[in-house]
Amino acid sequence: MRAPNPRTALDRTTWTLTWRLTRAGGRTGLLATSLSVAAAAISTALLLLCVAVNLGFQQRADRIDWRTPVKSAAPVAVEAVGTTFSGGTPVTVVDVAQLPGRKAPAPPGMPRFPEQGEVWVSPALADLFHRLPADRQPVPGTVAGTLGRAAVAHPGELVAVVGHRPTAAAVTTPREADPRRPGDIVTPTRVADFTGQRSTDGIGDGYVALAKIATILVVVPLLVLGASSARLSVSRRDQRLAALRLIGATPGRIAGMTAAEAALTGAAGALLGTLGYGLLLPATVQVSVAGGSWYAADLWVGLPVLLAVLAGVVAMVVVSALVGLRQVVVGPLGVARRSKPPRMSFLRALAFVAVIVGYSLFTQEHKSDVNGPLVFFALVFLALSVIGPWVVGVLGRIICALAQKPAALLAGRRLLDDPKSGWRTVSGLTLAGFVAGFFALFGISGASPWGHPDTLAVAVPKARVAVVQQDARHRLEHAGITAVVGTSTDWVAAGGEGTVQVVATVPGGTEKLDRARTALTSLVAGQYPITGTDINWSGRLFSDDFSNATRLVLGITFVTAIASAGITAAASVLDRRRTYGLLRLAGTPLRTLDAARRKETLLPVAVLAGGAALTGIFAAAPLTLGEGSSIETGGLVLLALCFGVGVAGLLAAGALSRPLLRSVTEQSGPRPE
Amino acid sequence: MNSHRTTTASAVLVGAGLMKSYGLTRALAGVDVSVSAGESLAIMGPSGSGKSTLLHCLAGIEGPDAGQVLLGGERVDQLGEPHRSELRRTRFGFVFQSGQLLPELPADENVALPLMLGGISRRQAVQKAREWFPPLGLAGMEERRPGQLSGGQAQRVAIARALVGSPQVIFADEPTGALDQITGMEVIDLLVTTTRRQGTALVVVTHDEDVARWCDRTVRVRDGRLSEEARTPDGAAGTNAVAHAARGTAGRPTGHDTDARYDR
Repeated sequence: MRAPNPRTALDRTTWTLTWRLTRAGGRTGLLATSLSVAAAAISTALLLLCVAVNLGFQQRADRIDWRTPVKSAAPVAVEAVGTTFSGGTPVTVVDVAQLPGRKAPAPPGMPRFPEQGEVWVSPALADLFHRLPADRQPVPGTVAGTLGRAAVAHPGELVAVVGHRPTAAAVTTPREADPRRPGDIVTPTRVADFTGQRSTDGIGDGYVALAKIATILVVVPLLVLGASSARLSVSRRDQRLAALRLIGATPGRIAGMTAAEAALTGAAGALLGTLGYGLLLPATVQVSVAGGSWYAADLWVGLPVLLAVLAGVVAMVVVSALVGLRQVVVGPLGVARRSKPPRMSFLRALAFVAVIVGYSLFTQEHKSDVNGPLVFFALVFLALSVIGPWVVGVLGRIICALAQKPAALLAGRRLLDDPKSGWRTVSGLTLAGFVAGFFALFGISGASPWGHPDTLAVAVPKARVAVVQQDARHRLEHAGITAVVGTSTDWVAAGGEGTVQVVATVPGGTEKLDRARTALTSLVAGQYPITGTDINWSGRLFSDDFSNATRLVLGITFVTAIASAGITAAASVLDRRRTYGLLRLAGTPLRTLDAARRKETLLPVAVLAGGAALTGIFAAAPLTLGEGSSIETGGLVLLALCFGVGVAGLLAAGALSRPLLRSVTEQSGPRPE
Repeated sequence: MNSHRTTTASAVLVGAGLMKSYGLTRALAGVDVSVSAGESLAIMGPSGSGKSTLLHCLAGIEGPDAGQVLLGGERVDQLGEPHRSELRRTRFGFVFQSGQLLPELPADENVALPLMLGGISRRQAVQKAREWFPPLGLAGMEERRPGQLSGGQAQRVAIARALVGSPQVIFADEPTGALDQITGMEVIDLLVTTTRRQGTALVVVTHDEDVARWCDRTVRVRDGRLSEEARTPDGAAGTNAVAHAARGTAGRPTGHDTDARYDR
C-alpha cells in the first residue's frame, strides 16, 4: 500500500462522502455509530475524572506545603505544628509567633499575621466550635477569624492557626517528631516566610501513587473499549468501503474517509464525555477521599488539559479505526484472503516470563520504591497483552483436537484461525482479572498495634512525672471526669529518651474522651494528649480509601471490559454476517452458532482471566506484603465475586448480540448485497 | 399444464399455486412447479422477476402467502422455522454463489459440518466427507482452507457439502455467479452430473443461459408468473433424466464454443 496522499485523503470529497455514508448507514449503522460515540464519551469522562483526581491531589498537597516549615537563617517568625483530635478526626494546630522587631508576612488564607491569643480556624472547624460545648473544644482560645481556602487542603479539613508571644511555651518548647505520624508534629521552626515545602514522608505520597495506579488500571481497559468500538464501525462499513475501492477510490481516500468518520464520532463522543464530566463533577466533589470532599476548583482540570485529553481521545479513535481498516485497504475485494492461520510465536510466552522474572528481581531489590514497581506494573499489563494471543492460539489448538460437537469445533477453529481477534474479545476481562488479582489480597491493615483507644497519653521527662500526674488528676476532677491516671510502658506519645508515658484511662465513649482531651490539652507544652488509635489515623483513612478505590476501579474495569466484550461480539457478528446468514439458510441452527460464540469467549476467559488474576496477585505481592499490611480473606471473596460478575456479564453481553445475529442472518440473502 | 401434471406424479418436490407478496410488490402470483428425483431444473428470469423468492419458498427459507409446497408428498410450507431449519439441513442441500464456507475450517471439516450437526461423530463425519473429494476432483485438497482454494475449487467443496447428507433436493442459487466462464461450466457440469448420478433433484436459479442449458428443464419467471416452460433448446427428451444421462459428457447440449475451451 502506498502512503496515502494527504491532499486527497482528507479533502472536501472525503468529508462529503463520509458524512453521507454515516447518515445513510441505516439502523445497524446508527447503532454502531452510537456505540462508538458512547465508548468515546465514556472514555473521555472517565479519563477526565482520573486526571482531575490526580491533579486534585496535587492541588491539595500544594496548599498544605506551608505546614512543613523550612528553617531560615534570616527568620521573621516561628512556626510549630501539632495534631489533636475531635471525635476521632484530626485537627491540625499551627502555632505561630512573630519574632521581636520583625515584620512577618500573613500565613496563607489569612489577611494578616494573627495577634497573640487569636485563633483562626478553617470553616469546618468553625462549624465544630459552634456545635461543641466549651468543655469539648479541641483548641483553647477564642475564634478571631476564618481561614481562607489557601490554607486548607479540602473543605472538611480541621485546621487552626494560633498566634503567640515569641516567648510562649508553645513556640519555644521543642517537640518530638513521631515517625509513625508523618506531618503531624513539627518542632518550633524559625522561618522567613510561609512558603514551606512538600512533605516527603506524608500520606500524600500514598494517595498520589494510588491515583496513578488507579489511572493506569482504568485507562488500559478504556483503550480496549475505544479500540473495539472503532473496529465495530469499520466492520460495519467494510463492504461499502470495499465497493468504493472497487470503483477506483484510492487507499488514501478510503483511509481518509475512515479517519474522517472516526474523527467525527470521536469528537462527538469526546464532547459528550466532557459534558458527562461536567455533570459528574458536582457528585464527584462530594466524594470523601483522604479525609474529606473536594473543592470543585481542584477537580476542574483546566482548559489546556481538557483540550489535550479531547485530542488524545480523538487520536485514539482515529488510530484504532485505521488499524481496523488495514484489511479493506489491502484490496478492492475487501477482506484479505488468509491462506494460513498465523502461528503465534513462542517468543510471546518467553517475553512474558522475562517480564515477570524481571519484575520479581526488581521488586526484591527496591522494596520501598513506589515508582519503580509502577513502571514494571505497567509492563506486566503490557506483557499480558503480548502473551494473550499466544495463549488463545494454544487453547484453540487444544479445543480443536478434542472437539466432538460442531460448536466446539467451530469455536476451536475460530480461535486457532485468528488468535488476535479472539484475544480482543477477552482482553478487557483478562486485564480486569489482573486488576482483581492485584487488589484481592492487597489489604492494608487499619488496626493500631499501639496503646488503647480509651487511654490518653503524654510523654513526660522522668523527673516531672509525679507533678504532671497530679496536675492531670486535678484537671480531670475539675472537669468532672472520672478517669484513672497512671503511667504506662506502651509507646503512644512520642517523647524521646528519658521520658515516661503519663496516661489517663477514660472509659465511656468518644464524647467523654474528648472532654478529657480538652481538659488535658496544654498539660505538657507543645503536646496534645493522644490515644493509640489516634496515632494510626492516616493509615486507617488510607486503608478505607484504598478499599473504596479498589471497589471503584474494579467496578469501572469490569463494566468497561464487559462493554468492550459486548461490542466486540457485535462487531464479530457483523464481520461474519454473510457466512452466518448462509449457514442459517443451509439449516444450521442458530443455537449451534450461539454455542460456538459462547465457547470461543468463555473458554479463553476462564484460562486467561484466571491466569491474569494469579499474575495480579503475584505483581501486587511485593507492594503489599511489606510491613503494615496483611492478607485478607475478604479479598478472596471479592475475587470470586469479580469472577462471577465477569462471567455473567460476558454471557449477558453475548446474549445481547443474539438479536443482532438473528437479524443479520435473516436479512442476509443468498447473494451478496 | 397437462405435461405439468404428469411430472407431478413422480415429483419429489412440488410447488403449487405459490403466491408471495412483499408489501405492495407481488413477487409470486400463483406459480406451479415441480422437480423429480435425479432431474435438474433451471429457474431463469430477469432481476426482480421473483425467481429467488420462488427458490426461497421451495426451499423452506420463506413461507408462501398462499399455495403449497410438497416434499415427497408431504406439505412442508406450514412448518415452523425450527422444523424448516431441520428440513433444510437434513433433506435439502444448498450451493450459493460464494462465501458459504467457513474460512477458518479446513475443506473436509466444512463438508463434515452438516453431518456433525446431524449428530454423527466427528471422526465418522470427516471420513465420510473425505470420500467426496476424489470424485469432485478435489483429491489432496482435504486440509486446505477456503482461502487456499480457487473459486472453482471452493464451489466444488460447497457441492460436496450440499451432497454429503444425501439430500433429496439441492438448491443452487447462481452457483457460477462468482466464477469465470470456463470454471463456471466445469462447476455446473459437475453439479448436474453428480446430482443425476445420486438421484438427487437439482433446482438451479440462474440468469445465465449457458448454465440453464446444462439442466434437463428450464422454467422462466416473469412478474411473478411462470411465463414459459421450455424444454432445453436442443432437448428431445429434456425431462427424461436417464436418456439425458446416457448422452453423458460426450455431446453437450449447447454452448459449443465454450465446450471447446473446457472439455477435457
